[in-house]
Amino acid sequence: MKLSTIQSDAIQELGNIGAAHAATTLSQMLGSTIEMSVPAVTVVDLSHLADYMGEESAAMVAFELQGDIAHGGYILFYITRESAIRMTNTMLGLTETNRPLSEMDESALLEVGNIMVSAFLDATAELLGFVMLPSPPSLTIDMAHAAMQSLIAQMQEETNEVLLFSTELTCEEYKVDSDIIMMPERSTLNKIIELLENLMKTD
Amino acid sequence: MPSNQLQNGQTAMIGIGEYRVGSFPMMTIGLGSCIGLIMFDPTLNLGAMVHIMLPESSGRMDRPGKYADTAVPLLVGELNALGCKNRSIIAKMIGGASMFEYFGTNLNIGERNANKVRMMLKEHHIQLSAEDIGGKVGRSVTFFPVENGKVVVKRADGTSNNI
Repeated sequence: MKLSTIQSDAIQELGNIGAAHAATTLSQMLGSTIEMSVPAVTVVDLSHLADYMGEESAAMVAFELQGDIAHGGYILFYITRESAIRMTNTMLGLTETNRPLSEMDESALLEVGNIMVSAFLDATAELLGFVMLPSPPSLTIDMAHAAMQSLIAQMQEETNEVLLFSTELTCEEYKVDSDIIMMPERSTLNKIIELLENLMKTD
Repeated sequence: MPSNQLQNGQTAMIGIGEYRVGSFPMMTIGLGSCIGLIMFDPTLNLGAMVHIMLPESSGRMDRPGKYADTAVPLLVGELNALGCKNRSIIAKMIGGASMFEYFGTNLNIGERNANKVRMMLKEHHIQLSAEDIGGKVGRSVTFFPVENGKVVVKRADGTSNNI
């Protein structure tokens, strides 16, 4: 899988727009400023997935991409366990950081993931004129690699490479560090690239 | 083909679909629905480890370590070539979890992986001596062939056990 510079730039721009909307919602939920990284577009060989996702304990809210394509791939809200606690503490008015995650934390994480990913996909849909809807969310709090690997294993189109398209969202005030990671199926990616290329032609 | 030799004390990291054969320590991290399959010959202090992702290769030949149906004969063949007899090889498998409740239900790749490995081991007359399979938990595995085939399984909460 090889992307041209123009394709990679176009996807990055799409990520910028999606992530900016997601950052706005997170900023409203936390009542604080959110910094956003330049989206990273990486083609990862499966055997090297461990270079991107390790053994660290993280909360991941995953969604299947649905809508105009039935099984479009996956998108997830990723947040390290430590950040997750600091974030839910802020939302729930708690202060103790050295504690297990409760059902309240899990609901809060699901809700944040849902709102952010919906905002991300809304914005990209508006730009592309192509609807990607999130499935109901599924949460896991465990080894990041184990969760990611499980999602890749259930992708529809078998592949030895995945395109990871991630944007980091951080909140300095509460020391919260999170990512939105999109992992489209090959056919979804091709469709997105085609739509982006059409957009650039008409501009 | 990866070599059978590593520098002293080095641990070989095994990524998805990869495998190694030798007497050096081997490690694979973050098994979710994937399976870490270990084969060990106590008579020769020699072993192999593979990181399996899916049950069936459906004719794909490019990465035999990625699929249960091709990974088992692959490891058996490699160990046979080094003088291991099938009746002296013991196998251990780890992983096969279902990390996401909502998605896991209809596909359950972890369970299908484990079942396929069991079937393939039986077919090759390899004894499965231990397993740590299933649940909703990620696992990292380290295998020490020269320490009598010791296998350490570690979880995200920091707990670990030997199998």
